[in-house]
Amino acid sequence: MNEKKIDLSDLNMTDEELFAPVNHDDLESEKITAPRYSYWHSVFRVFFKKKINIVLLAVLAVLLVFTYVYPAIIGYDAAVDPYINLMDSTAKHLNPQTAMAKFGSNIHWILGSGASGQSTFDAIWYGSSISVSLALICALINMTIGVIVGAVWGFSKKVDVFMTEVYNVIANIPYILLISVIVLIMSASFWTMVFALTVTGWIGIAYFIRTQVIIIRDREYNLASRCLGTPITRIASKNILPFMTSVIVTLAAAEIPSYISYEVFLSYIGMGLSDMSLGKLIEASQNAMQTPGWEIEFWSPVAVASIITIVLYVVGQNLGDASDPRTHM
Amino acid sequence: MTKYLINRILRGICSIVIVVGIVMVMVYSALDRNLIFAADSMYSHVKSNAKEVYMMQQWERYGYVDYVPYADYMRELVRDEEITQEQYNAAISFANKAEQDSESVAEFVKRFTEEYESKGYKVVRLDGKMKGKTKKYQDGGEPRLYAYKDIPVLMRLVNYFKDLISVDNIHNVEDDIENRGITFTLYDPAYGGEKFSPAVMGNGTHYKYLFYCNDSFPYIHQNLVKINLGLSYSIRQGIDVFQTMTESQGSYAYSTVTYPSGVVAEAADDLHSATYVSGSFAGGGPVVKANFVDDYTNISTNKNGMSKIGYSFTIGIIAVFLSYLVAVPLGIVMALRKDKLLDHIGTFYIVFITAVPSLAYIFLFKSLGGKFGLPTTFDMENPTWLMYVLPIISLSLPSIAGLMKWLRRYMIDQMNSDYVKFARSGGLSEGEIFRKHILKNAIIPIIHDIPGSVLGALTGAIITERVYVVPGVGNMLTRAINAYDNGVIIGMVLFYAVLTVTSVILGDVLMSVLDPRISFTAKAR
Repeated sequence: MNEKKIDLSDLNMTDEELFAPVNHDDLESEKITAPRYSYWHSVFRVFFKKKINIVLLAVLAVLLVFTYVYPAIIGYDAAVDPYINLMDSTAKHLNPQTAMAKFGSNIHWILGSGASGQSTFDAIWYGSSISVSLALICALINMTIGVIVGAVWGFSKKVDVFMTEVYNVIANIPYILLISVIVLIMSASFWTMVFALTVTGWIGIAYFIRTQVIIIRDREYNLASRCLGTPITRIASKNILPFMTSVIVTLAAAEIPSYISYEVFLSYIGMGLSDMSLGKLIEASQNAMQTPGWEIEFWSPVAVASIITIVLYVVGQNLGDASDPRTHM
Repeated sequence: MTKYLINRILRGICSIVIVVGIVMVMVYSALDRNLIFAADSMYSHVKSNAKEVYMMQQWERYGYVDYVPYADYMRELVRDEEITQEQYNAAISFANKAEQDSESVAEFVKRFTEEYESKGYKVVRLDGKMKGKTKKYQDGGEPRLYAYKDIPVLMRLVNYFKDLISVDNIHNVEDDIENRGITFTLYDPAYGGEKFSPAVMGNGTHYKYLFYCNDSFPYIHQNLVKINLGLSYSIRQGIDVFQTMTESQGSYAYSTVTYPSGVVAEAADDLHSATYVSGSFAGGGPVVKANFVDDYTNISTNKNGMSKIGYSFTIGIIAVFLSYLVAVPLGIVMALRKDKLLDHIGTFYIVFITAVPSLAYIFLFKSLGGKFGLPTTFDMENPTWLMYVLPIISLSLPSIAGLMKWLRRYMIDQMNSDYVKFARSGGLSEGEIFRKHILKNAIIPIIHDIPGSVLGALTGAIITERVYVVPGVGNMLTRAINAYDNGVIIGMVLFYAVLTVTSVILGDVLMSVLDPRISFTAKAR
């Protein structure tokens, strides 16, 4: 047991002060005091408690700087830079050592040069800026439409019957076919790709959200809320949406990298963008993979794409975990 | 239950029809029809009026328009004996310009124009184009006269589903032939007539053999009912998609064949595939005359390799088995050892597979497998079991990750539920709780996906098959899209849609059979 005792004389208080009666207030005693709770404050507290998340965020920041700032700093021009060494046959397919010996030891050549003598490193980051932008924009559009439609779909039984049939139809149209038809009609530009990936892409998300809404919609607390006369919009925004935040964040975390992967896949089968995105780079260098000594041309865009997707995915998953209020205890 | 199932199946068929309809609108209306000439070398060679006609002919083959040249119309009139050969000869060659036509030509041209315009066709007359001021036509500059009409999508859809399944009958052949009927034999003449092998043969049917036996799986074969998914135009001209998918590939497989004429030879010809081609015996070369006795001369050949669908399914089904075999125990162990080392390793693997583009790890495993001496490309001529290893691994990796992720999730959810706590407080042993309560409940959503993965194995895998050069069905859709082969695109879409709709229904049925709590007859949800 702790034998430490407080000596009252140390407090320098008079007996009156020490033994003053405290008024008992019935009203005060009914109040339940709890520590102040701010949702997003707690989310970030839980998120940053894990040291790995800080490391991952730093890596993500570096990746984003290279993706968006680096091409701007070096003034990368997609119409000029890939072809500056086109006529120089000794500049093509160089490994990092020979490239740096030829062009000087600077950051451009640390991954060697590609099939037309361009710097692989510069091309990767320019490609990455296209791929990441595509993924972010598509995820934003699909998540917004998907969550809104999914919420309505889950709430209304009439909409449910109709939308389930629509889903059965749309889910059966091969994605590749839809994208290639749209690309053929409109041209393989960036915004066409965004359109192609979002024109039906939201329905999968909406379906997922619908299932979640149905699960939560009929819980007892919502039933009670409805019995008390809470309007449906208030149930949706105050009772259900907070519950969905972690689901939505987790879903978004899986969506963003999946668009990068999808872009790589489409480019590989020859249906991708016309811009030199990461997928297009991988597709263009796949022949180099089979040639001994040239593998780095293929593996470096693959590695960068993988690192970006992994970091985005893990950060997003951890943020999703942190945004679940049950982890805030 | 039956009523519910019928309802589900009907709704499934409806959505399949709508999907095919949407795709037809997409490929026939939304796409510029000139795209089919993008990779066509003939197109750049034909010139002037001949180019217009060539375009019409191609569009007709690709199913865009119904095209009738004047000459065909006239020939039909002769065949129907409405006009005589003399009238035909007088009217067939029309002049450079309409006003230069002779009287009989003008009469028939007028008749042709009126008849087809009344049917909604557009009649086009292209005047002859001369080389400068000479009397010679330019390259392809001959005058042309034809009628054409766009085929509406709805009509195409109806026709497509009407022709989807065809049943052979003895009145199939239009020619005048004797002894229409069906014969049954216990000793198939294709094997020399001595070996016991029952067969049903038809005369007047499209196929000569309606049923026959051979020594390859499933031993009894039929030609009576055929599925027509749509004709290919550019990938394999004039061949049905279904046949392309199911036909054997590779080098010729020779065997002793007894031809209908009695000639015995070592050949790869598959006599059981004989179909009727009008006038082929009379017009055939000496080989045909020596081997055959009637017009059932169109035969395909036996080949050593499997069919496209065969390769895809072999790889796919082994990968499915392997993934359930690996993923189910691993997922269970991960859930039981939650937050221990094994769980972390498993989670890392799941994150890796989910986040990294599939292309990256397929290539990674290809190069790793190559280092261990495994064959990295598929070789139909020298098949070994080793060449299946890498494609199977590449296919199972992502499905293992997916299965592990969900099984672990479901298990943990069940472990935290109240009935498990109750069972524990009731004194049940951990093993009993695990086997009889947790696993039984957690495995049900996993079982729901089994029909989907088994049927999904039929569709092949795009990247895996491309990377390992597997001659499977996975690449057919992308190849068809690149070649604007509308017939193949629609056939493949129908094939995919049927498989997905079936697998969802089968999954629901399987789930309701295994879990008595799930009932589809209950009205309230």
